[in-house]
Amino acid sequence: MTSTDALIRNLSADLVAVKRRRMSGEVALLAALGAIELALLLWAGAMRPDIRQVILAPFMLWKIGNLALLAGVASWAAIRSLAPPAVPRRGLRLALALAALAAVGGTMVTPAVDIGRPILERLSPMQGMLCATSIIVLGMPVMATLAVLMRRAAPVRPKQSALACGLAAATSGALIFTVYCPMNDPLYIAVWYSLGVAALALVARLLLPSRFRL
Amino acid sequence: MAVDPIFRTNAAHQVRRHRRGGSAPAPTSDAWGALMAAAQEGHGGAYQRLLTEISGWLLQYFRRRLPAGDVDDAVQETLLAIHRRRHTYDPRLPLNPWLTGIVKRKWIDQLRSMGRRPSEELPADLSIPGHEATITSASVLARLLDELRPAQAQAIPRVKLQGFSVEDASIELGLSPSAVKMSIHRGLARLTSILEKTDDVD
Repeated sequence: MTSTDALIRNLSADLVAVKRRRMSGEVALLAALGAIELALLLWAGAMRPDIRQVILAPFMLWKIGNLALLAGVASWAAIRSLAPPAVPRRGLRLALALAALAAVGGTMVTPAVDIGRPILERLSPMQGMLCATSIIVLGMPVMATLAVLMRRAAPVRPKQSALACGLAAATSGALIFTVYCPMNDPLYIAVWYSLGVAALALVARLLLPSRFRL
Repeated sequence: MAVDPIFRTNAAHQVRRHRRGGSAPAPTSDAWGALMAAAQEGHGGAYQRLLTEISGWLLQYFRRRLPAGDVDDAVQETLLAIHRRRHTYDPRLPLNPWLTGIVKRKWIDQLRSMGRRPSEELPADLSIPGHEATITSASVLARLLDELRPAQAQAIPRVKLQGFSVEDASIELGLSPSAVKMSIHRGLARLTSILEKTDDVD
Protein backbone atom coordinates (compact mmCIF):
# COMPACT_ATOMS: atom_id res chain seq x y z
CA MET A 1 0.00 0.00 0.00
CA THR A 2 1.43 3.41 -0.97
CA SER A 3 1.37 6.40 1.35
CA THR A 4 -1.36 7.93 -0.87
CA ASP A 5 -3.51 4.81 -0.45
CA ALA A 6 -3.01 4.99 3.31
CA LEU A 7 -3.99 8.66 3.29
CA ILE A 8 -7.17 7.89 1.33
CA ARG A 9 -8.05 5.09 3.75
CA ASN A 10 -7.53 7.43 6.72
CA LEU A 11 -9.61 10.21 5.20
CA SER A 12 -12.46 7.83 4.33
CA ALA A 13 -12.53 6.03 7.68
CA ASP A 14 -15.14 7.37 10.10
CA LEU A 15 -16.20 9.99 7.59
CA VAL A 16 -18.79 12.33 9.05
CA ALA A 17 -21.46 14.27 7.19
CA VAL A 18 -20.61 17.93 6.53
CA LYS A 19 -22.89 20.93 6.48
CA ARG A 20 -22.83 22.23 2.92
CA ARG A 21 -21.87 25.82 2.33
CA ARG A 22 -24.92 27.95 1.46
CA MET A 23 -24.26 31.21 -0.39
CA SER A 24 -27.78 32.46 0.35
CA GLY A 25 -27.07 32.08 4.08
CA GLU A 26 -23.86 34.08 3.72
CA VAL A 27 -25.66 36.85 1.80
CA ALA A 28 -28.32 36.94 4.54
CA LEU A 29 -25.59 37.14 7.21
CA LEU A 30 -23.97 40.16 5.54
CA ALA A 31 -27.35 41.87 5.05
CA ALA A 32 -28.21 41.28 8.73
CA LEU A 33 -24.85 42.67 9.81
CA GLY A 34 -25.38 45.79 7.71
CA ALA A 35 -28.89 46.21 9.13
CA ILE A 36 -27.57 45.93 12.71
CA GLU A 37 -24.89 48.54 12.03
CA LEU A 38 -27.47 50.88 10.51
CA ALA A 39 -29.82 50.34 13.45
CA LEU A 40 -27.02 51.11 15.93
CA LEU A 41 -26.16 54.30 14.03
CA LEU A 42 -29.80 55.41 14.08
CA TRP A 43 -30.18 54.42 17.73
CA ALA A 44 -27.15 56.57 18.57
CA GLY A 45 -28.91 59.53 16.91
CA ALA A 46 -26.32 59.89 14.18
CA MET A 47 -28.79 60.38 11.30
CA ARG A 48 -28.37 63.69 9.46
CA PRO A 49 -31.10 66.05 10.71
CA ASP A 50 -32.39 67.07 7.25
CA ILE A 51 -32.74 63.50 5.92
CA ARG A 52 -36.50 63.91 5.29
CA GLN A 53 -35.95 66.98 3.14
CA VAL A 54 -33.09 65.58 1.05
CA ILE A 55 -33.94 61.88 0.76
CA LEU A 56 -35.60 62.32 -2.65
CA ALA A 57 -33.15 64.92 -3.98
CA PRO A 58 -31.26 63.77 -7.14
CA PHE A 59 -27.84 63.91 -5.43
CA MET A 60 -29.12 61.75 -2.55
CA LEU A 61 -30.73 59.20 -4.86
CA TRP A 62 -27.49 59.14 -6.86
CA LYS A 63 -25.42 58.59 -3.72
CA ILE A 64 -27.58 55.91 -2.07
CA GLY A 65 -28.55 54.19 -5.33
CA ASN A 66 -25.02 53.83 -6.64
CA LEU A 67 -23.57 52.74 -3.31
CA ALA A 68 -26.34 50.16 -2.86
CA LEU A 69 -25.65 48.83 -6.37
CA LEU A 70 -21.90 48.73 -5.78
CA ALA A 71 -22.25 47.07 -2.37
CA GLY A 72 -24.61 44.46 -3.85
CA VAL A 73 -22.38 43.67 -6.84
CA ALA A 74 -19.17 43.57 -4.78
CA SER A 75 -20.74 41.42 -2.04
CA TRP A 76 -22.12 38.94 -4.55
CA ALA A 77 -18.77 38.80 -6.38
CA ALA A 78 -16.93 38.27 -3.09
CA ILE A 79 -19.21 35.51 -1.80
CA ARG A 80 -19.37 33.75 -5.17
CA SER A 81 -15.58 33.77 -5.45
CA LEU A 82 -15.11 31.84 -2.20
CA ALA A 83 -15.39 28.45 -3.94
CA PRO A 84 -14.50 27.26 -7.45
CA PRO A 85 -15.32 27.49 -10.30
CA ALA A 86 -16.37 31.14 -9.82
CA VAL A 87 -13.58 33.69 -10.14
CA PRO A 88 -13.80 37.23 -8.74
CA ARG A 89 -12.27 38.97 -11.76
CA ARG A 90 -15.55 39.56 -13.63
CA GLY A 91 -17.32 40.88 -10.54
CA LEU A 92 -14.43 43.20 -9.76
CA ARG A 93 -14.42 44.55 -13.31
CA LEU A 94 -18.18 45.11 -13.19
CA ALA A 95 -17.87 46.96 -9.86
CA LEU A 96 -15.12 49.20 -11.25
CA ALA A 97 -17.16 49.93 -14.39
CA LEU A 98 -20.20 50.80 -12.23
CA ALA A 99 -18.05 53.09 -10.07
CA ALA A 100 -16.77 54.91 -13.18
CA LEU A 101 -20.34 55.30 -14.49
CA ALA A 102 -21.46 56.58 -11.08
CA ALA A 103 -18.67 59.20 -11.11
CA VAL A 104 -19.81 60.40 -14.55
CA GLY A 105 -23.43 60.42 -13.38
CA GLY A 106 -22.41 62.55 -10.41
CA THR A 107 -21.67 65.49 -12.71
CA MET A 108 -25.36 65.58 -13.67
CA VAL A 109 -26.72 65.80 -10.13
CA THR A 110 -24.37 68.38 -8.62
CA PRO A 111 -26.48 70.87 -6.59
CA ALA A 112 -26.51 74.33 -8.21
CA VAL A 113 -25.12 75.87 -5.02
CA ASP A 114 -21.90 73.82 -5.32
CA ILE A 115 -21.12 74.36 -9.00
CA GLY A 116 -19.38 77.76 -8.72
CA ARG A 117 -17.46 77.11 -5.49
CA PRO A 118 -13.64 76.72 -5.43
CA ILE A 119 -12.48 73.10 -5.66
CA LEU A 120 -10.66 73.11 -2.28
CA GLU A 121 -13.77 74.45 -0.57
CA ARG A 122 -15.93 71.81 -2.26
CA LEU A 123 -13.52 69.05 -1.20
CA SER A 124 -13.38 70.23 2.43
CA PRO A 125 -10.33 68.05 3.31
CA MET A 126 -10.82 67.98 7.10
CA GLN A 127 -14.41 66.77 6.81
CA GLY A 128 -13.35 64.47 3.99
CA MET A 129 -10.72 62.69 6.09
CA LEU A 130 -13.38 62.14 8.76
CA CYS A 131 -15.75 60.66 6.16
CA ALA A 132 -13.08 58.34 4.73
CA THR A 133 -12.13 57.16 8.23
CA SER A 134 -15.78 56.57 9.16
CA ILE A 135 -16.28 54.45 6.03
CA ILE A 136 -13.26 52.32 6.98
CA VAL A 137 -14.54 51.83 10.56
CA LEU A 138 -18.09 51.02 9.43
CA GLY A 139 -16.78 48.53 6.85
CA MET A 140 -14.65 46.60 9.32
CA PRO A 141 -17.37 44.31 10.79
CA VAL A 142 -18.35 43.19 7.27
CA MET A 143 -14.69 42.70 6.37
CA ALA A 144 -14.10 40.59 9.49
CA THR A 145 -17.16 38.47 8.66
CA LEU A 146 -16.01 37.98 5.07
CA ALA A 147 -12.52 37.07 6.35
CA VAL A 148 -14.04 34.27 8.46
CA LEU A 149 -16.18 33.08 5.55
CA MET A 150 -13.11 33.11 3.29
CA ARG A 151 -11.08 30.99 5.74
CA ARG A 152 -13.87 28.41 5.90
CA ALA A 153 -14.44 28.27 2.15
CA ALA A 154 -12.22 27.44 -0.83
CA PRO A 155 -11.13 30.60 -2.68
CA VAL A 156 -8.80 29.40 -5.41
CA ARG A 157 -7.71 32.97 -6.20
CA PRO A 158 -7.32 34.25 -2.64
CA LYS A 159 -5.77 37.61 -3.57
CA GLN A 160 -8.61 38.54 -5.92
CA SER A 161 -11.18 37.20 -3.45
CA ALA A 162 -9.61 39.30 -0.69
CA LEU A 163 -9.86 42.40 -2.88
CA ALA A 164 -13.51 41.63 -3.64
CA CYS A 165 -14.17 41.12 0.10
CA GLY A 166 -12.52 44.46 0.89
CA LEU A 167 -14.53 46.23 -1.80
CA ALA A 168 -17.76 44.65 -0.53
CA ALA A 169 -17.02 45.63 3.06
CA ALA A 170 -16.01 49.19 2.18
CA THR A 171 -18.99 49.89 -0.10
CA SER A 172 -21.32 48.46 2.56
CA GLY A 173 -19.71 50.77 5.12
CA ALA A 174 -20.08 53.73 2.74
CA LEU A 175 -23.75 52.88 2.15
CA ILE A 176 -24.46 52.84 5.89
CA PHE A 177 -22.51 56.07 6.31
CA THR A 178 -24.85 57.94 3.92
CA VAL A 179 -27.48 58.28 6.68
CA TYR A 180 -25.00 60.36 8.70
CA CYS A 181 -22.93 62.16 6.05
CA PRO A 182 -24.12 65.78 5.71
CA MET A 183 -22.27 66.39 2.42
CA ASN A 184 -24.24 66.61 -0.82
CA ASP A 185 -21.62 67.53 -3.40
CA PRO A 186 -20.95 64.55 -5.76
CA LEU A 187 -17.34 65.73 -6.24
CA TYR A 188 -16.77 65.44 -2.49
CA ILE A 189 -18.51 62.05 -2.40
CA ALA A 190 -16.52 60.72 -5.39
CA VAL A 191 -13.16 61.78 -3.92
CA TRP A 192 -13.47 60.96 -0.21
CA TYR A 193 -15.73 57.94 -0.44
CA SER A 194 -13.41 56.50 -3.10
CA LEU A 195 -10.45 57.09 -0.81
CA GLY A 196 -12.12 55.31 2.13
CA VAL A 197 -13.27 52.42 -0.07
CA ALA A 198 -9.84 52.04 -1.71
CA ALA A 199 -8.06 52.11 1.66
CA LEU A 200 -10.20 49.33 3.15
CA ALA A 201 -9.99 47.27 -0.06
CA LEU A 202 -6.20 47.58 0.08
CA VAL A 203 -6.11 46.49 3.73
CA ALA A 204 -8.24 43.44 2.88
CA ARG A 205 -6.08 42.61 -0.14
CA LEU A 206 -2.96 42.67 2.07
CA LEU A 207 -4.34 40.98 5.21
CA LEU A 208 -6.89 38.39 4.14
CA PRO A 209 -4.73 36.12 1.94
CA SER A 210 -1.86 35.97 4.43
CA ARG A 211 -1.13 32.42 5.57
CA PHE A 212 -4.23 31.20 3.75
CA ARG A 213 -3.90 27.64 2.52
CA LEU A 214 -6.51 25.53 0.82
CA MET B 1 -14.94 4.38 -15.26
CA ALA B 2 -17.82 2.18 -14.12
CA VAL B 3 -20.70 4.13 -12.63
CA ASP B 4 -23.16 2.77 -10.10
CA PRO B 5 -26.76 3.43 -11.17
CA ILE B 6 -27.39 5.18 -7.85
CA PHE B 7 -24.68 7.69 -8.71
CA ARG B 8 -26.07 8.53 -12.18
CA THR B 9 -27.01 12.21 -12.50
CA ASN B 10 -28.77 14.50 -14.95
CA ALA B 11 -25.76 14.78 -17.25
CA ALA B 12 -27.32 17.05 -19.89
CA HIS B 13 -28.33 19.59 -17.26
CA GLN B 14 -24.88 19.54 -15.68
CA VAL B 15 -23.12 19.95 -19.03
CA ARG B 16 -25.26 23.01 -19.78
CA ARG B 17 -24.34 24.52 -16.38
CA HIS B 18 -20.72 23.65 -16.99
CA ARG B 19 -20.67 25.38 -20.40
CA ARG B 20 -22.29 28.52 -18.99
CA GLY B 21 -19.52 28.65 -16.39
CA GLY B 22 -16.92 28.58 -19.18
CA SER B 23 -14.60 26.39 -17.11
CA ALA B 24 -11.84 24.03 -18.13
CA PRO B 25 -12.69 20.83 -20.01
CA ALA B 26 -13.90 18.08 -17.71
CA PRO B 27 -11.14 15.65 -16.75
CA THR B 28 -13.59 12.84 -16.23
CA SER B 29 -17.23 11.93 -15.82
CA ASP B 30 -19.61 13.93 -13.64
CA ALA B 31 -20.34 10.72 -11.75
CA TRP B 32 -17.65 12.03 -9.42
CA GLY B 33 -20.11 14.74 -8.41
CA ALA B 34 -22.58 12.13 -7.23
CA LEU B 35 -19.84 10.35 -5.27
CA MET B 36 -18.86 13.64 -3.62
CA ALA B 37 -22.49 14.40 -2.78
CA ALA B 38 -22.71 11.00 -1.08
CA ALA B 39 -19.42 11.69 0.72
CA GLN B 40 -20.80 15.00 2.02
CA GLU B 41 -23.55 12.98 3.66
CA GLY B 42 -20.97 10.74 5.36
CA HIS B 43 -20.80 7.82 2.89
CA GLY B 44 -17.25 6.58 3.50
CA GLY B 45 -17.31 3.95 0.73
CA ALA B 46 -18.27 6.49 -1.92
CA TYR B 47 -15.58 8.84 -0.62
CA GLN B 48 -12.84 6.20 -0.71
CA ARG B 49 -13.80 5.29 -4.26
CA LEU B 50 -13.88 8.95 -5.28
CA LEU B 51 -10.48 9.78 -3.76
CA THR B 52 -8.92 6.65 -5.27
CA GLU B 53 -10.16 7.58 -8.75
CA ILE B 54 -9.18 11.23 -8.30
CA SER B 55 -5.69 10.30 -7.06
CA GLY B 56 -5.04 8.40 -10.32
CA TRP B 57 -6.05 11.44 -12.32
CA LEU B 58 -4.00 13.75 -10.07
CA LEU B 59 -0.92 11.59 -10.56
CA GLN B 60 -1.17 12.08 -14.33
CA TYR B 61 -1.95 15.78 -13.95
CA PHE B 62 1.02 16.57 -11.73
CA ARG B 63 3.44 14.34 -13.65
CA ARG B 64 2.98 16.72 -16.58
CA ARG B 65 3.41 19.80 -14.43
CA LEU B 66 5.96 19.15 -11.70
CA PRO B 67 9.39 17.53 -11.21
CA ALA B 68 9.11 13.81 -10.43
CA GLY B 69 10.18 14.31 -6.80
CA ASP B 70 7.28 16.70 -6.10
CA VAL B 71 4.44 14.69 -7.65
CA ASP B 72 3.47 12.47 -4.69
CA ASP B 73 3.58 15.42 -2.32
CA ALA B 74 1.33 17.44 -4.65
CA VAL B 75 -1.17 14.57 -4.98
CA GLN B 76 -1.43 14.15 -1.20
CA GLU B 77 -1.65 17.90 -0.54
CA THR B 78 -4.47 18.12 -3.08
CA LEU B 79 -6.36 15.18 -1.54
CA LEU B 80 -6.11 16.89 1.85
CA ALA B 81 -7.39 20.18 0.37
CA ILE B 82 -10.32 18.34 -1.23
CA HIS B 83 -11.05 16.75 2.15
CA ARG B 84 -10.86 20.04 4.09
CA ARG B 85 -12.97 21.96 1.57
CA ARG B 86 -15.48 19.28 0.55
CA HIS B 87 -18.36 21.19 2.18
CA THR B 88 -17.94 23.97 -0.43
CA TYR B 89 -18.91 21.70 -3.34
CA ASP B 90 -22.44 22.37 -4.57
CA PRO B 91 -23.95 19.02 -5.68
CA ARG B 92 -26.26 20.80 -8.14
CA LEU B 93 -23.15 21.52 -10.25
CA PRO B 94 -20.65 19.13 -11.86
CA LEU B 95 -17.65 18.34 -9.69
CA ASN B 96 -15.03 18.86 -12.39
CA PRO B 97 -14.87 22.69 -12.43
CA TRP B 98 -14.73 22.71 -8.61
CA LEU B 99 -12.02 20.06 -8.62
CA THR B 100 -9.89 21.64 -11.36
CA GLY B 101 -10.00 24.97 -9.50
CA ILE B 102 -8.59 23.35 -6.37
CA VAL B 103 -6.04 21.27 -8.26
CA LYS B 104 -4.70 24.27 -10.16
CA ARG B 105 -4.37 26.20 -6.90
CA LYS B 106 -2.34 23.36 -5.40
CA TRP B 107 -0.13 23.31 -8.50
CA ILE B 108 0.57 27.02 -8.02
CA ASP B 109 1.27 26.45 -4.30
CA GLN B 110 3.67 23.65 -5.19
CA LEU B 111 5.54 25.85 -7.69
CA ARG B 112 5.76 28.55 -5.01
CA SER B 113 7.22 26.12 -2.51
CA MET B 114 9.75 25.02 -5.17
CA GLY B 115 10.83 28.65 -5.47
CA ARG B 116 11.24 29.01 -1.71
CA ARG B 117 13.10 25.74 -1.26
CA PRO B 118 16.90 26.10 -1.26
CA SER B 119 18.30 24.49 -4.41
CA GLU B 120 20.96 22.65 -2.42
CA GLU B 121 18.28 20.75 -0.51
CA LEU B 122 16.63 19.03 -3.43
CA PRO B 123 15.12 15.62 -2.75
CA ALA B 124 17.56 12.79 -3.43
CA ASP B 125 15.27 11.19 -6.02
CA LEU B 126 14.97 14.36 -8.08
CA SER B 127 18.07 13.71 -10.18
CA ILE B 128 17.08 11.24 -12.83
CA PRO B 129 19.69 9.89 -15.26
CA GLY B 130 17.62 10.55 -18.40
CA HIS B 131 17.29 14.32 -18.46
CA GLU B 132 15.14 14.28 -21.55
CA ALA B 133 12.62 11.93 -19.96
CA THR B 134 12.34 14.17 -16.93
CA ILE B 135 11.55 17.23 -19.02
CA THR B 136 9.02 15.28 -21.07
CA SER B 137 7.27 14.13 -17.90
CA ALA B 138 6.86 17.77 -16.79
CA SER B 139 5.87 18.80 -20.32
CA VAL B 140 3.32 21.46 -19.39
CA LEU B 141 5.78 23.13 -17.03
CA ALA B 142 8.52 22.97 -19.69
CA ARG B 143 6.19 24.63 -22.22
CA LEU B 144 5.38 27.42 -19.78
CA LEU B 145 9.08 28.25 -19.51
CA ASP B 146 8.82 29.90 -22.96
CA GLU B 147 7.02 32.75 -21.19
CA LEU B 148 10.12 33.54 -19.11
CA ARG B 149 13.32 35.43 -19.76
CA PRO B 150 16.10 33.30 -21.32
CA ALA B 151 18.20 33.06 -18.14
CA GLN B 152 15.15 32.02 -16.09
CA ALA B 153 13.96 29.56 -18.75
CA GLN B 154 17.41 27.93 -18.80
CA ALA B 155 18.09 27.87 -15.05
CA ILE B 156 14.74 26.41 -13.87
CA PRO B 157 14.79 23.17 -15.92
CA ARG B 158 18.44 22.49 -15.16
CA VAL B 159 18.19 22.90 -11.39
CA LYS B 160 14.56 22.07 -10.68
CA LEU B 161 13.82 19.40 -13.30
CA GLN B 162 17.15 17.83 -14.27
CA GLY B 163 18.76 17.86 -10.81
CA PHE B 164 21.83 19.99 -11.61
CA SER B 165 23.46 21.69 -8.64
CA VAL B 166 23.42 25.50 -8.71
CA GLU B 167 27.21 25.47 -9.22
CA ASP B 168 27.03 23.08 -12.21
CA ALA B 169 24.19 25.09 -13.74
CA SER B 170 26.10 28.34 -13.24
CA ILE B 171 29.16 26.91 -15.08
CA GLU B 172 27.02 25.64 -17.95
CA LEU B 173 25.02 28.86 -18.28
CA GLY B 174 27.98 31.18 -17.73
CA LEU B 175 26.28 32.93 -14.82
CA SER B 176 27.27 33.37 -11.20
CA PRO B 177 25.63 30.98 -8.67
CA SER B 178 23.70 33.86 -7.11
CA ALA B 179 22.42 34.90 -10.55
CA VAL B 180 21.20 31.33 -11.13
CA LYS B 181 19.42 31.31 -7.76
CA MET B 182 17.86 34.71 -8.50
CA SER B 183 16.75 33.55 -11.97
CA ILE B 184 15.06 30.49 -10.46
CA HIS B 185 13.35 32.48 -7.73
CA ARG B 186 12.10 35.21 -10.07
CA GLY B 187 11.22 32.76 -12.83
CA LEU B 188 9.03 30.61 -10.55
CA ALA B 189 7.38 33.74 -9.13
CA ARG B 190 6.61 34.88 -12.69
CA LEU B 191 5.26 31.42 -13.57
CA THR B 192 2.86 31.42 -10.63
CA SER B 193 1.76 34.92 -11.55
CA ILE B 194 1.05 33.80 -15.15
CA LEU B 195 -0.87 30.76 -13.90
CA GLU B 196 -3.01 32.84 -11.56
CA LYS B 197 -4.10 35.02 -14.48
CA THR B 198 -4.93 32.19 -16.88
CA ASP B 199 -8.09 30.15 -16.61
CA ASP B 200 -6.56 26.84 -17.62
CA VAL B 201 -3.34 25.36 -18.93
CA ASP B 202 -3.40 22.06 -20.82
